[in-house]
Amino acid sequence: MSKPSPTTPPSPDEPFWRRYRREILFLTVFLALLGGGFTLISVPWVNDHVIEPFTAGIAQVSGGVLDAIGQNVTMQGTVIRNARFAVNIRNGCNGVEAMLIFLAAVLAFPASWRSRGLGLVLGILAIQVVNLIRVVALFLTGTYYPSLFDASHTVVWQTVVILSGVLLWIFWANRFAVPPAPPESAA
Amino acid sequence: MARKQKEAPAPPVRRKSWAGRLIRNILLWILPVWLVWTAITPVYNRFLATAAENLLNLFESPNVSDLLVQGAHMAHIQRLDFPPARSLVGSIRVTDVHFHLILLGALFLGVPGVPWRQRFSNLSWALLLSVFFHLLLLVFWVQFVYTTQLGAWSLAHYGPFARNLFGLGKHLLDLPFKLSLPLVLWAFFYIGRMMEELKK
Repeated sequence: MSKPSPTTPPSPDEPFWRRYRREILFLTVFLALLGGGFTLISVPWVNDHVIEPFTAGIAQVSGGVLDAIGQNVTMQGTVIRNARFAVNIRNGCNGVEAMLIFLAAVLAFPASWRSRGLGLVLGILAIQVVNLIRVVALFLTGTYYPSLFDASHTVVWQTVVILSGVLLWIFWANRFAVPPAPPESAA
Repeated sequence: MARKQKEAPAPPVRRKSWAGRLIRNILLWILPVWLVWTAITPVYNRFLATAAENLLNLFESPNVSDLLVQGAHMAHIQRLDFPPARSLVGSIRVTDVHFHLILLGALFLGVPGVPWRQRFSNLSWALLLSVFFHLLLLVFWVQFVYTTQLGAWSLAHYGPFARNLFGLGKHLLDLPFKLSLPLVLWAFFYIGRMMEELKK
């Protein structure tokens, strides 16, 4: 009697929870980590001592980039302003949501801890780079095309940041997460 | 000779991995889905505002909440029991409630190796669940305005439990849940397939 291979289709006689064990496990861990992560960053102490300084850091880096491209901005906490426009970097604009979604998806996916660690470090860095581009692009949009700012702020750039997180996760899962199947024995 | 050529093994065809095709397809689908979403947004916003208003009225006696759609994107919250000059108590950009449908559509349509019929069937279920989510978010948004944004009136009519429930609920629904919903729904339908395909 041979043990079924991992790619054997599930038998319809098996109970639901066993047939969809991997799906249920992934979704349970993913949702638990998402819920836990977002609840954690909603705690006032965490928000004041972790998220706000992190957001101020993002504002500083974005301000530095905007200065480097000649926008002559001044910084005040999480506010970046020049003579024509000002923007306040708040929760939702700091890439933390995309990072948490990416983190939950990486940790819930079957992989070695080494792969997960690598994915988290590189993925979170990549998401922050995309978010930095977003903040700079939004500031420039607000300065030169203010009528497009609202739609850009939510629809365009939030979609781009979350999309980049999802695509990075698929790339990581493909390249680093699942060990390659053993070669089939020659008949 | 001709027979010999026929029997020669064909050169191996280099096929992109399933994940590579998934990433490519998602990127290719983003623009068409975006265009469709942009076209239906004004109609969908009207539907959402009307449905959310009816949902709110179910729990009111008499009906005092009105969601007035203005233009293609905005809805104003009106309380009919307030003096006319102060009856507009808040505004919602309804388009922001459902822009994640762009990502959802691209994710569901981009899965390689799934028959179109099944792709559209799974997408339909995901869209139906998303509509319920959008209605819930709109109801929470209006209740958030009532419970926390109307100063003394809010304090006089709602207790701390209601303020916390609708404040935290609106925050969680509007950012984390809204942004992660496309991936959650996609994973529900396709994570098993993805795991199988990546093992190959």
